[in-house]
Amino acid sequence: MTTATSQAELPLAGIRVIDVATVIAAPYCATILGEFGADVLKVEHPMGGDVCRKFGTPTHRGDTLAWLGEARNKKSVTIDLHRPDGVELFKQLIEKADVLCENFRTGTLEKWGLGWEVLQRINPGLIMLRVTGYGQTGPYRDRPGFARIAHAVGGIAYLSGMPKGTPVTPGSTTLGDYLTGLYGCVGVLMALRYREQTGLGQYVDAALYESVFRCTDELASAFAMFGTVRERHGPTHNDFACPYGHFPTKDGKWVALACATDKLFARLAEAMGRPELASSGLYGEQKTRLENRSDVNEIVRDWCGSLTREEVLKRCYATGAPAGPLNNIADIYGDRQFHARRNLVAIDDEDLGETIVVPSVIPRLSETPGQIRHLGPKLGQHTEEVLSELLGMSQEEIGELKKKRVI
Amino acid sequence: MSDENAQTATGMPENSERAPSQEHDPQTTKLPMSGIRVIDVGTFLAGPYAASVLGEFGAEILKVEHPLAGDPMRRFGTATKRHDATLAWLSEARNKKSVLIDLRQQEGVQLFLRLVEKSDVLIENFRPGTMEEWGIGWKELSEVNPGLVFLRVSGYGQTGPYRHRSGFAHIAHAFGGLSYLAGFPGETPVVPGTAPLGDYLSSLYGAIGIMLALRHREKTGRGQIVDIGIYEAVFRHLDEIAASYGLFGKIREREGAGSFVAVPHGHFRTRDDKWIAIACTTDKMFERLSEAMERPELASSRLYGEQRKRLAARDEVNRIVIEWVGSLSRDEVLNRCLEKEVPIGKVNSIADIFEDEHFQARGNLARLEEPGLGEVVVPGVTPRLSLTPGQINNLGPPMGNATYEVMRELLGLSAEEIKQLRQRKII
Repeated sequence: MTTATSQAELPLAGIRVIDVATVIAAPYCATILGEFGADVLKVEHPMGGDVCRKFGTPTHRGDTLAWLGEARNKKSVTIDLHRPDGVELFKQLIEKADVLCENFRTGTLEKWGLGWEVLQRINPGLIMLRVTGYGQTGPYRDRPGFARIAHAVGGIAYLSGMPKGTPVTPGSTTLGDYLTGLYGCVGVLMALRYREQTGLGQYVDAALYESVFRCTDELASAFAMFGTVRERHGPTHNDFACPYGHFPTKDGKWVALACATDKLFARLAEAMGRPELASSGLYGEQKTRLENRSDVNEIVRDWCGSLTREEVLKRCYATGAPAGPLNNIADIYGDRQFHARRNLVAIDDEDLGETIVVPSVIPRLSETPGQIRHLGPKLGQHTEEVLSELLGMSQEEIGELKKKRVI
Repeated sequence: MSDENAQTATGMPENSERAPSQEHDPQTTKLPMSGIRVIDVGTFLAGPYAASVLGEFGAEILKVEHPLAGDPMRRFGTATKRHDATLAWLSEARNKKSVLIDLRQQEGVQLFLRLVEKSDVLIENFRPGTMEEWGIGWKELSEVNPGLVFLRVSGYGQTGPYRHRSGFAHIAHAFGGLSYLAGFPGETPVVPGTAPLGDYLSSLYGAIGIMLALRHREKTGRGQIVDIGIYEAVFRHLDEIAASYGLFGKIREREGAGSFVAVPHGHFRTRDDKWIAIACTTDKMFERLSEAMERPELASSRLYGEQRKRLAARDEVNRIVIEWVGSLSRDEVLNRCLEKEVPIGKVNSIADIFEDEHFQARGNLARLEEPGLGEVVVPGVTPRLSLTPGQINNLGPPMGNATYEVMRELLGLSAEEIKQLRQRKII
């Protein structure tokens, strides 16, 4: 199979995306589009730019590592949308764009005269991704929203933590942002497909809390039908599978086990050197294991606690029992699978004079793999290039706009 | 679309109710994925959920299952009166048609290849090597259909030393670095929210990969493979964790209810023993919170006006917020914070969600009538498109409800041939 090696051969070559959003949620949609060939113009306020530049650990370039990693492949164009000249300039860009990603509070773009109806008039084929905490409609639409709040409102924070204990962050505070970026990207790709068939653009109305809520399997169905309110489950509880959870090993580390089916439990019993546990007289059936959850968990906990993490995993892998280490980032750097799949890529940043390691592109396509052409750009790095090449402005005009601090 | 036929074939009445967001008639409105046929031969959610998303937007989804066992998802979750369907199956196998084929039999493989020939997308999540063993690896598949888009989801991906290990979302959360971060510092790592999170994530990447590959196919005629390890979809979401370890050797640890980037940023207990989430990501947000707390001086530059100072005095700042929140009911805290536009929200249980007016207004809870079960409530369609909103036309199908239709109409088999195949348990 020959694979595409230049941006021009990628599936989204020729698609121009304007990303006027901030932090991660809507911008992550643009990031994915950029990895697969779209030209992404990051439109930022001339003073300070996207707040993502300050989110996380700063580098001596000023911009944070989060910015360098997640604004990959984008071109930075500064425009002040609070000023009429800036709005006019933005409209000219919209005319030449296919996709717009934004995440202002509801009503903000409308206030600037850049609402959907205006933009659609300028460019009837435009696809607009709108991301907010609560969506463009409904009683809470004007409330400020962040992923942290969305995890809470969408129902997954309530499920994270020890039973009756303090609900904890579900692993990462940015999870809901990424999730919404993914749903946004699905929506934009659907809309592009529809536009190619009909010529019609549309907008995608994404809410952080909805993306979170959509990933809660049968939580809603079970409450509606049986009144079940799922609670926090801690490390070793799952309503449908046992043993399932995190177990400490002799060397103070953790392993994850998940016996979703009887066959998988049989493999675990074999790994433990106690195949009789999987007999029908004992714990061979999920139903019996769920009924005797604490006994089963204790047996597994004792076994894991008697061995090092490596030993537990080796024995589980030998029988095909579903087990894995609870990796921290140091474990991940040392892991053969991460290396083999090249999940970590080192990119040289010219301006930083250093190599930055970032997660590589997923999904992985065999014929048109995505690309990281460069890391997050400096503020305004591409303003002149875009205004002169795309909008055909003269050096003089650009100089004027600069003087007036419109760009 | 031939949904109507599927329902006629099994004697199922049309669903009288549809999700609230659906004003369009599915028989007349063209959706973005209309005309695309997807074969979903996966199990559980990692991969099959990608098919659900494509189905919501108009693709025809043929769920190919083993004639006896079916998708184990049918037995995973809360049982219902329908013996072949848990609630999880009903919700997440939405819009699919069930077609029974035994891929462990040679004739089953032949039928399957004929289906592949007439399809655009194939989704699978067997352990790597399984389909090759059955004689339906990429080589055979692309021979019968060079334009095929093939989504392969597995715990560790199709390559690398661990590719043959069994993988589930729970293991992928651990392996991908997310579980290590969930819980209190130095204490037991907990499940990050929901068990199948990684399944949803990998499926969303799958759906994106499929649509990109379809675009490429339309330009070049060539299909390709989308290869996703569930752990990768999890790992991709850890913002700068890799970069800061690479540059500074920093190992991120569990942060309890908080966050390493901002203070106060976490979950706080109210006087009535409920929980709220507050996220003061910026200094402006903290200033608003100080006003809501009627202690604006806290946001002065001398005290905690700057994120840097709040991070340095994390425990003290959190203590002040804990005390204030603990002195009021959840509603009082919410009202005062919302008035000042502080980013705040209830830590909702599912019972809270059902009462919430915003969930109602956005139609996030879709209500469908299911024969024999009555009303089933499932999450509505996400993402929300203005011109071509997605649809839920049916919940998870009964075992084999479209086998006959597909064999007869799509593959052109005679009634007699179908009967033969059924008797021999190939379909």
